[in-house]
Amino acid sequence: MKTPLRKIALLCAAALAVIPSAACSNDDSDSSAGDKALDIVYWNYGPAAESGNKATADAFMAANPGTKVTLTPVTGENWGTYYANVATLIASGKRPDVMVISGEGAQFVHANNLVKPINDYLDKDADAKTLTGDIAPGLIDGFTVKGDVITLTYGWNDMVVYYNTAVFKKAGLEPPKADWTWADFEATAKKLTKDTNGDGKTDQYGFTWASNEIFPGIMPWVANAGGNLTSDDVCSATADTPQVNKAVAYLENLIKTGVSPAPMPMSDVFTRFQNGQIAMFGAGRWPIATFLPKFKDFDIQLYPKGDTYKTVFGGAGYPILKSSKNPDLAWEYQKFTVSTDIEKQYVGTADKPGDSIPSRRSLAQTISKVGVPPANSDLYYDSIDKYPTLVPYPAPAKYSAFESTVLRHLQLIFAGEKSVSDGLKDMQAELSSIVTC
Amino acid sequence: MTQDVVPPAVHGRGKPPRKDGLAALAFLSPAIVTFLVFVLAPTAGVLYLSFYDWNLLSDGTFVGTDNFDRLVHDERLLHVYGSTAYMALAILAVNVVVGLLLAVLLETRMPRWLRGFFRLSFLFPFVVSASAVALIWRFLLNKDLGLVNYVLGVIGLDRIDWLGSSAWAPVSVIVVNSWKTIGFSILVYIAGLQAIPDVLREAAIVDGANAWTRFWRITFPMLSPTIFFLVVINTINSFQIFAEPRVLTQGGPGDASRTIVEYLYDRAFGDFDLGYASAIGITFMLVLIALTAIQFRLSRRWTFYE
Repeated sequence: MKTPLRKIALLCAAALAVIPSAACSNDDSDSSAGDKALDIVYWNYGPAAESGNKATADAFMAANPGTKVTLTPVTGENWGTYYANVATLIASGKRPDVMVISGEGAQFVHANNLVKPINDYLDKDADAKTLTGDIAPGLIDGFTVKGDVITLTYGWNDMVVYYNTAVFKKAGLEPPKADWTWADFEATAKKLTKDTNGDGKTDQYGFTWASNEIFPGIMPWVANAGGNLTSDDVCSATADTPQVNKAVAYLENLIKTGVSPAPMPMSDVFTRFQNGQIAMFGAGRWPIATFLPKFKDFDIQLYPKGDTYKTVFGGAGYPILKSSKNPDLAWEYQKFTVSTDIEKQYVGTADKPGDSIPSRRSLAQTISKVGVPPANSDLYYDSIDKYPTLVPYPAPAKYSAFESTVLRHLQLIFAGEKSVSDGLKDMQAELSSIVTC
Repeated sequence: MTQDVVPPAVHGRGKPPRKDGLAALAFLSPAIVTFLVFVLAPTAGVLYLSFYDWNLLSDGTFVGTDNFDRLVHDERLLHVYGSTAYMALAILAVNVVVGLLLAVLLETRMPRWLRGFFRLSFLFPFVVSASAVALIWRFLLNKDLGLVNYVLGVIGLDRIDWLGSSAWAPVSVIVVNSWKTIGFSILVYIAGLQAIPDVLREAAIVDGANAWTRFWRITFPMLSPTIFFLVVINTINSFQIFAEPRVLTQGGPGDASRTIVEYLYDRAFGDFDLGYASAIGITFMLVLIALTAIQFRLSRRWTFYE
């Protein structure tokens, strides 16, 4: 197929609306045009993404006079659709130098031969050694595919349990300890489940999880049951193992016993948590950007231990694309995103906190010192440094199809329309053609 | 001072003068260009892609009619066609039937301010973003913490799993989409009702016709072109819904409330299977064209033009 005709077809077909902000943001004329120009694509998930990327780009241009950084915001309801929209952008002729990706996208960009691995830079650049020495090894490994290091991680998230301290206090409960178990968790959640207005129906629930995401949804439970949704090499699905069955059955039981409401999307969970209708939920560090500065009655704890404890995490970085005309400058930009000044942005302040954990240990450890809630913030980095068993978030190359398939089958299980074992068998059957290498 | 009076050109059934034709073309050109760029060209592009296996990033491969062959064996697609038809026909019925009822009620005697209030109330959801509307409804319809079930509880009814059960999720999509779109149907109906000459109704009253007879013998026939217009427009629109199921239920549980457009989108931008998504799009377009053609054919039997 000849490329120009395909592009014309795409431009016509993908038409107009899919990525308006991306398509209209700039043109190719000023991207990668000069020796010191960079075109950077990022996921515009909200004002924080826009201001954060602008601040980084401005700081880079100030530190490197004569360089020009052009930012291209790309929309998307989640990381999966962001990648799809970036792919559309590239297919329509755009040639960015750098694109923001999360762990979910590592396999995708590698499988599609989009990125230039940074192994050589890491070997030759003296600064790189200093930087990587301050970054937890798990965060480097999480972005390593078949020996290729995709990117340095500027920020990351691990899954922790958020709990409403005011609701705990009202129920007369002590804050949970890091060594709590599934049984402890269930008992605590039951005590927090209440009919507060006396109408005979529950209106305060102990725990819930996001229905629209796997990472803060079932993954921490699956990992602590000793399982995963894919093999370690992310080449085959393992969705119907006894461990996954155990985790999903545990969650299903929380719904059946009335401790958890029917799962709802993450944004709804945030609201219900702040108004006290949900006492606990799971997520990374990103909720605090929504909660603060108005809502401070919360703290975090590790997920309870099942048959094991494993930290489930995922990071994000600015990999260099093979289409870059200035890969060396792109590498400088990538390094810049993990520089001290930029990492401080991810630490944030009590009024304007960062929405992920800085990848550099020395900076992450300042979160509690500068007074950014929650009180137990040191736990974020400890969970990857002090707990050796790590589970990078499973993200096969066909990530978007993988996620939607898992969520679709979970909907039926948690709605009580399919048994756990039948639902997971069906999920496994469908995933077997999606999770491949 | 005298002035030459040039009589206006009298055009019969013959060919219009060349100058008029050019003027007409000039006036039509924005619409023609818009149609070519935004409708015809994308359609041609989708048709072209439907014969290729292409994931956006690699070179495409010509696969002939393979993508269309896959359609026949795609059991999920058949199921999604079923759920789409169920929701679309229900939304169509609500818009056409309930919309007419509400429009007739709004045209009855009532204080001017009250009429304005009702009209604004019905039209307001139509001008609000579908995603924003769906987000609010998602909050209201939450099974365990939503306001709707709270009200049901107050009157002694059990909680309904509006968004999580296969039986109720499509109903929620129907209710939310109808609530959002019915204002447009009411607006068009009101315009149609106001275009019916009063003299016809007055003559019928003089002849002793009651309200029911006046509706069926005068209002309905005179309104039939409006009804036909709304049937066609609402059929096309309701088969193409996307935002409401996407935001409310994510198409679930399973595929219970998934629509064809959502399924197509997921194949294209979830699976990166552009060729297959294009084949779905082309066949779906043909289905809608066929439905519209049938409606035009049937309309000859019941549509009355003055």
